[in-house]
Amino acid sequence: MSEVPVNAPAERRARLAAAMAAEGIDILVVAGNPWRSDYLRFAADFTPTEGHAFAFIDGDGPSQIIVEHPAEAARLRWEQPQLQVNGSCAPIEAAETAIRAYGGRRLALAPLAAVPYRLAKGPLGAGIARGTALLDRLMLRKSPAEIDAFRRAAALADDGYAVFCEAARAGRPEYALVADVEAFFRSRGCPENFQILGSGGTEVRGMHPPSERRLARGDLVTTELTPCVNGYYAQICRTLVIGEASEAQRRAFAVYDEALEAGIAAVRPRATAGEVARAQNEVFRRHGLGDYVTSEYTRVRGHGLGLYVDGRPAVLEDVDLVFEPDMTLIVHPNTYHPEVGYVVHGDSVRVTPEGCEVLTRTARRLFSVN
Amino acid sequence: MRRGLISWSREEVPPQVLESRVARLQEKMRDAELGVVLVYTSFARPSAVAWLTHFVPYWNEALLVVRPVGAPVLLAAFSKRVQDWIRSVSHLGEVRSAPDLGRAAAAFLKEHPPEPSRIGVLELDALPWAVAEPIVKAGYGAALVDITGLFASIRQPADDAEIGLARRAAKIATQALKAIPTGAKRASELLSALEGSARLDGAEEVLPRLAPDLRADATLRRLEGDAPLGERYAVELSVAYKATWVRITRCVSVNAVPPSWRGAADCFVETAERLNEANLSVEPRVAGNARPGKLAAWTLETCRGSPPLSIVAAWEAPSPSALPGGSLACLSLQLDLDDGPWLGGEPLILGGRGQPSRLLI
Repeated sequence: MSEVPVNAPAERRARLAAAMAAEGIDILVVAGNPWRSDYLRFAADFTPTEGHAFAFIDGDGPSQIIVEHPAEAARLRWEQPQLQVNGSCAPIEAAETAIRAYGGRRLALAPLAAVPYRLAKGPLGAGIARGTALLDRLMLRKSPAEIDAFRRAAALADDGYAVFCEAARAGRPEYALVADVEAFFRSRGCPENFQILGSGGTEVRGMHPPSERRLARGDLVTTELTPCVNGYYAQICRTLVIGEASEAQRRAFAVYDEALEAGIAAVRPRATAGEVARAQNEVFRRHGLGDYVTSEYTRVRGHGLGLYVDGRPAVLEDVDLVFEPDMTLIVHPNTYHPEVGYVVHGDSVRVTPEGCEVLTRTARRLFSVN
Repeated sequence: MRRGLISWSREEVPPQVLESRVARLQEKMRDAELGVVLVYTSFARPSAVAWLTHFVPYWNEALLVVRPVGAPVLLAAFSKRVQDWIRSVSHLGEVRSAPDLGRAAAAFLKEHPPEPSRIGVLELDALPWAVAEPIVKAGYGAALVDITGLFASIRQPADDAEIGLARRAAKIATQALKAIPTGAKRASELLSALEGSARLDGAEEVLPRLAPDLRADATLRRLEGDAPLGERYAVELSVAYKATWVRITRCVSVNAVPPSWRGAADCFVETAERLNEANLSVEPRVAGNARPGKLAAWTLETCRGSPPLSIVAAWEAPSPSALPGGSLACLSLQLDLDDGPWLGGEPLILGGRGQPSRLLI
């Protein structure tokens, strides 16, 4: 790294304050919950684990946070003693009261994904899109400190995949593999991970949370691992075979490997997300597998990464978002293959001024475990 | 995000149990003249939909549509290919792939005009605006009514199936707490052991909070990174098994268990047993300087809406809300003892009027 990362929360606070000033916003009210905690983490360096939370951000950063659960309030008071923390069993009502108390100040409310009905119906409802867009812009391009966290998360994902390979043995249930990986991530101080997987053959159409199904020889075992460091998620997608890979599995995997290579080669400043999707999909089309890059068989060909596991942009052919340096994403041509089943293969990357840097270090191969 | 075991055992939760819960809601809907009910779910607020259908979203969002008769319909913001998985883990009528939930809900309401026209929404105030806005814009705004109270009135007491799941969750949690390595020096060692054990035992989710050094501070924290463990520390472990949550808190001493903790544990049991539907506060008996220490904080929680656990009564809450005997609840206490803080927590089945509560395990 050529740049020394500064403190990420302070850096985010400064960027947000500048953007608010430029937009003429005195107070930004940021809503969140455990499902959509990313905007709160960005604006107030807080990740809720239960209930609703609302942060009131002014030019100096968060000034007040309302949380629902008493334990969350106690935790937040410990984590950020300078903050005014209000624990309330009726947090939406409390936020409404707090908004009213700001009187004639210029307030905005965000993000659309987490603002609740009651607040949206109030006087700030009309400005939700503006507040959300402001945060989305800031969260897309990462600072050196954010890149540093992302880089460390990518390294952790690599290590996690090695644990996954060790865990994958014939006879073990799917959920045991996740148990091993989670235990590993906690041992490394990682509080959160998004992981889904799949196992079997041509009957497997995607990934899901682990079931009681036991792995068997010949299974393709897919997973995407998404650990976070300082709130920033990085992802790896890989596929392994229990036992020796068949000729069909090897042949199929080669298509995904070629598509991943093509997708990564397309990631550069001024390219669009659509071009990256098209580069991957064209490989499948050339191999006569064009049907399998439609929404019938797959969702996206990658997506943004950061404080949310599935961020902007969605890498799809009709998405025209233009890449800029220091955006972070995963490129993954994951889809169904009619001969072998669902295959996943993906790397986390950072857009650089010249192209992109691949942060995933795990070998791009069809793994085989006994 | 949920990444533990998600599966539906028909032995643990027979379809008839889910159907009877839906029927209770439908009966209330008819009484309240509701033509349809909408229940939102995400992994942060999964419990109402899970109670009715056994469906828990591992990520993303969905909206359950319950009409006065018939099986519930799920509008799920998942891709179409996830439908088979959804069906394998839940008991539903139609499942529709709905990338834009609000628009899908509005379209459904247009296809099936509610009769009567009132549309009940669980926790209407909290419905994400991204979901609510298209429904409002489609002209249904005036018909939306909050049914949080109505839903709470049928949610508890717990039935046998739910108590069975809670008992299993509590066993997973206590087993995980036993897995903490003797002589663990770092929080990461402890958290790794807890997660590994609980998830290998089939936990759907594990939420640990930790006070790593009780001599310094008793605040239960979500740890990012690591922290050294003190000679005394406390662990709060919230565990979900098949969408049923329990919360258990234990103190750990590296050296011999202090005698004061035995007194505190006895006090906890007495306090828990004294709770019943007519007495939902622990304050009268252990407040102030009552032995074995001063009550510093407490919560009584249950599930009666979409959050896994909601506060019924707490030291900071002005007054407890009603909860019937037979409800599944979790009591957490913090006592300030002469030799430092002590924290304890257990799930219980609330006693009826004049009846003691029973600890779940």
